[in-house]
Amino acid sequence: MRVLLLCTDAYGGYGGIALYNRDLAAALASREDCEEVIVVPRVIPTTPRDIPPKVTFVAGAARGAVAYVAAAMRARRTKPDLVICGHLNLLPLACAITRAPLLMTYGIEAWKPLRRPFTTRLVHRCNAVVSISEITRDRFLAWSQYAGPAHLLPNAIHLDEYGIRPRRADLVARYGLEGKRVLMTVGRLAAEERYKGFDEVLEVLAQLPDDVAYVIAGGGNDRARLERKAEQLGIANRVVFTGLFPEEEKRDLYALADVYVMPSRGEGFGYVFLEALASGVPAIGSKHDGGREALRHGELGLLVDPSNPAEIEAAIRELLARRERRIPAGLEYFSFEKFVERLNAIVTSPA
Amino acid sequence: MCGITAIFAYRSNAAGVRSEELNAITESMRARGPDAGGTWISTDARVGIGARRLAIIDLSAEGTQPMFDVERELVIAFNGEIYNYRELCASLERGGARFHSHTDTEVLLRLYRRDGERMLGLLRGMYAFVIWDTRARRMFVARDPYGIKPLYVSDDGGTIRIASEVKALLAGGAVSRAVDPAGVAGFFLTGSVPEPFTIREAVRAVEAGTAFHVDEERGRGDVLRHESVARVFRRASMQRPTAHLTQAGVALRERIEESVAHHLVADVPIGVFLSSGIDSSALAAIASRLSREPLHTFTLAFEEFRGRHGDEAPLAERFAREIGAIHTTRIVTREEFHADLPNFLAAMDQPTIDGVNTWFVSKAAHEAGIKVVLSGLGGDELLGGYPSFANIPTMMRLARTPLAWLMSFSRHPKKRLLREYGGTYAGAYLLQRGLFLPHEVCVECGNASCRCRSVEKRRLASPHSTLDILERFEAAIDPDPGTPFGRIASLEASLYMRNQLLRDADWTSMAHSVEVRTPFVDIALLRQIAPLVLEYRETGKRVLGSMLPPWLRDRPKTGFFVPIREWMDLPPDGTTTRMRSWARSVFEATAGA
Repeated sequence: MRVLLLCTDAYGGYGGIALYNRDLAAALASREDCEEVIVVPRVIPTTPRDIPPKVTFVAGAARGAVAYVAAAMRARRTKPDLVICGHLNLLPLACAITRAPLLMTYGIEAWKPLRRPFTTRLVHRCNAVVSISEITRDRFLAWSQYAGPAHLLPNAIHLDEYGIRPRRADLVARYGLEGKRVLMTVGRLAAEERYKGFDEVLEVLAQLPDDVAYVIAGGGNDRARLERKAEQLGIANRVVFTGLFPEEEKRDLYALADVYVMPSRGEGFGYVFLEALASGVPAIGSKHDGGREALRHGELGLLVDPSNPAEIEAAIRELLARRERRIPAGLEYFSFEKFVERLNAIVTSPA
Repeated sequence: MCGITAIFAYRSNAAGVRSEELNAITESMRARGPDAGGTWISTDARVGIGARRLAIIDLSAEGTQPMFDVERELVIAFNGEIYNYRELCASLERGGARFHSHTDTEVLLRLYRRDGERMLGLLRGMYAFVIWDTRARRMFVARDPYGIKPLYVSDDGGTIRIASEVKALLAGGAVSRAVDPAGVAGFFLTGSVPEPFTIREAVRAVEAGTAFHVDEERGRGDVLRHESVARVFRRASMQRPTAHLTQAGVALRERIEESVAHHLVADVPIGVFLSSGIDSSALAAIASRLSREPLHTFTLAFEEFRGRHGDEAPLAERFAREIGAIHTTRIVTREEFHADLPNFLAAMDQPTIDGVNTWFVSKAAHEAGIKVVLSGLGGDELLGGYPSFANIPTMMRLARTPLAWLMSFSRHPKKRLLREYGGTYAGAYLLQRGLFLPHEVCVECGNASCRCRSVEKRRLASPHSTLDILERFEAAIDPDPGTPFGRIASLEASLYMRNQLLRDADWTSMAHSVEVRTPFVDIALLRQIAPLVLEYRETGKRVLGSMLPPWLRDRPKTGFFVPIREWMDLPPDGTTTRMRSWARSVFEATAGA
């Protein structure tokens, strides 16, 4: 079997979706019947590494739109048995390559109708739709009226890569966290979306004891506004913006946190929850987006209504008071092995 | 649902609590809680607490009030329902709390012990409660943000008395019956008595969304304003970018369905008040889908309207059949209305021009043995369904044009006042909702038909001296909700809905020992969807409509009318509904004495 994966980013990419695509490629490549997985990325932010055997990573596709289409068309000549469309915006291209692609849906990109009605019509040509979470699946089905098979394939966590670590002294010093209890959110600071819940946590922080600090880990264009907001709330000295951080520091960054809190409104799933839990950090997620599924409806962490500051505050106080670090056993549900099992159940059926 | 009482002789020179008074207040609210009742007086007789209970959750005797916590240090009397109590209970148990019952009442006690007054932000539901803390010797009094459940207080400077009804406080015998001109003026201006005023000078409402402590010697502390509709809209105006994340219709539907699901929590069968309007029909459709038991639906019908456009019964019957509900069409005749009128007026806690419909539909639910009923009340306030959402901005624009000057010569009294009142939200709202106008009520007694002064003098008096009604209206939009929609929604929810619709739903249903629940009046729902309704004004009603069959959805909107004009021999009052005459006769029968 030859698989073509058209995606936004994978190897060398940041964030949950890039990792998801890497896992997808690796899981497909691990199948005995698989000859090759061709991964065509739209962007490559950092140097790609650890590309598994059987995976062909077409790095040249990331040069631009024309290069991307050219690379996809070249891949078409290899006659792939399965074309996976890794983003709704790539659907016209995927449909130009095959009659019936497999469509992946992650988060807000699939939560409301597309601007182009043409692409909306193409949705009905898909062989099947795979969603990262129930909320994404349900919201996608609500507007698209897609009637074909809709599968679930949540993110996977490589538990062996994480674990409970001591706080790294240099990071504690760099961010001025000596003697502080630390709340943390990891994510992109996007001014146009504002769905991660940074605002909500900042507002609550003002009500919490002075020894509680808040680390916002991630880069983005909304930083200046959030910094101003922290100043207005009189808590600027308790808020740390790490900016974009190197991937190697990520695990040590999680080790700084006492509570991972992300009262978001637009997460398709919230892979960062799995990373926090795998680092032994207790987590607070949202009742109203994919976070509730990452936290297994409250089994792995606390769920709050992002529109209610009192609930966010109470949950933070509860977890700060608990002062424990442990990796919940229920996290196994998202192991890479389970991911492979789920994927194999999906891919055998349509192929 | 319940009626609650508390008396605290907080100054050492005040006389101790008398059990006769506590019992008289509590027992006068027997209809609010026919299932059980009790009182408790501290050994030093400084504090007394009483409650009558209508059992809805945990029907066993363990739910009886007043209720102590496991340590017997806190005691509570609670009227209402906390819909997220199971979730709160789980959170408390994770923290090691122990419970002896499975009631929302005990959850409140444990939550107060853990969080103090911060607890209020966590509550989803309708509530009015009093907690006495025996350790700190302090009382905590709180009421829900929408003011769904009533609570009144009378403080003579040494003893504070609290109860669910104004009449109950009077029944104790220690509170003066003197009529408050401000309350009277409020009634004639708006058709109901606006908070915090009541019809009695010595009694005030505990304002919606507020709480306070009462300490020994010091008495009442600062009023804590824990949440308000205006504040939610203000926050929402800053959260508008989040409204675009998903399709507005889908998000609204998810949240409304969740609210209905919360309001279905009960250990008794549940009914729905069904008109053929969009809000109540959509509510019935969702509830019947989510409910495990078959749903009971109730619709009122009047002989006077049979076969006419306003007759909702046939449509409601057809819709109830389609959703598989057990339906009752309750026909009310002129004879029954007149037979019930003395009881109706006797049960009325404070004068109001409305409540006849909920009186009879609650009666129907009671006759069918249903204790809990959902109502579509609040849908128009939440989703912008009232004409005021369009009229008030138009009025305000018009008031600034020369046309307003021309209109001051109009024969229509409200048009004549456009220039004077139409320039502000509060003033325009008064013109939109006003029953009588400020110059029509007496400066001395507030009455619109008194004989204190000559008509000439009354015409000069405006606004009423003891009640600045515009100031009350301004308070409903403070802090500024930030958008025209937010301001009008806050005015509607904090004035007409709170003082009229919710008050009437409370006393008329309680008179029949029925609990009315309002899934559209839910502060958690409001917080969740306020950014959405600001961004997508038209979507809300469309979403509800999409849950209905086209034959019901696409018919023109009709108001719900009770044929009071046909039933009563009311003198003409310059209006088609004769509501002004009805107001005068209600006032004579209730507070006039």
